[in-house]
Amino acid sequence: MSRSIRNTSLLSLAVAGMLAGGLGSANAQTALSGDQIVQTMGSAARAAPPGLTAALIRQAVQQHMIDNPGMPITWKPLELLDNLAQIDVQIQFALNSAIIRPESYSTIGSMADALHHPILGGYKFVVTGNTDTTGNRKDNLALSQARADAVVEALTTTFSVDPSRVEAVGLGEEALEDVKNPKNPINRRVQLINIGKYLPGK
Amino acid sequence: MRFSCRKLLGAGLAAGLLMGLAGSVSAQTISYSEAGALLAKSCGKDIEKYCPKVNLGGGALKDCLQERAAQINPQCIADYKTVVASLSARLAAQAAVTKACRGDATQFCQGTAPGNAHYLNCLNAAKKVVSKRCTTAITNAGWN
Repeated sequence: MSRSIRNTSLLSLAVAGMLAGGLGSANAQTALSGDQIVQTMGSAARAAPPGLTAALIRQAVQQHMIDNPGMPITWKPLELLDNLAQIDVQIQFALNSAIIRPESYSTIGSMADALHHPILGGYKFVVTGNTDTTGNRKDNLALSQARADAVVEALTTTFSVDPSRVEAVGLGEEALEDVKNPKNPINRRVQLINIGKYLPGK
Repeated sequence: MRFSCRKLLGAGLAAGLLMGLAGSVSAQTISYSEAGALLAKSCGKDIEKYCPKVNLGGGALKDCLQERAAQINPQCIADYKTVVASLSARLAAQAAVTKACRGDATQFCQGTAPGNAHYLNCLNAAKKVVSKRCTTAITNAGWN
């Protein structure tokens, strides 16, 4: 179940198709809608390990870098998040920066539509940033964090999502989608991940 | 240029503008996604030209468009105001659902367990008998 959503989601293919041309050639006109995100996030209803937080994910990323020196092709990608309800989102950023290009405003709006829906109201989320392996590993981690931060800032200010329900985590190149082709652009993505029940005040 | 939100006026305008685009029923508000699409359509070129180092969130985009108002195309300025107003209107509509639907929930959804949008599902399933006030609120919230 988790695998099918993570790897063969029609949604991520369709959205990837919008920018990667050819990669997900199926239907470039299908924009990601809030309802689709709600369905993926809600229907999965896979429980996150209790107590999972953005800080713990960041720690795991640091540990993964320590435990896996050397060339990307020799690593196992970070698996911590594999089984959680999640969706890949393709956001266009300016080159080597965290500036969100206007063509992606609507996609971030779709994320906001989902996060405002009552079905997901009881859950907390992490927005991750991921790069491919082009360039320096540490710089990629910093860039992915800055990009995830930019998406979360847009969600929580422009689109009024409660900031206590969504946090940004840069995964750098530690959680590749396509391990065998670490420079495949499909690795460059933002994920929205359900990290469990939202308990106000806790 | 001022971005004051004349919420009701703006919301009506937004709904009117996007009615064709979204092919929507009769909601008085637009979704966050539609708002983002409108902003990109009307302001995208100007943003990339005049505010290329500015991000969507945190008010920076608004400040930049204000500073460059003389160069920005009028449609962008008008639609930016529409977007701000429509986002406020959608948020208000979502906040209004509980109150608008309380009576219907009591009447038609007895025994419904709270949480996970169970009440919303019940009200949507029962929309033939639910009050217009409640169904309108749900439609404007974008939850039908």
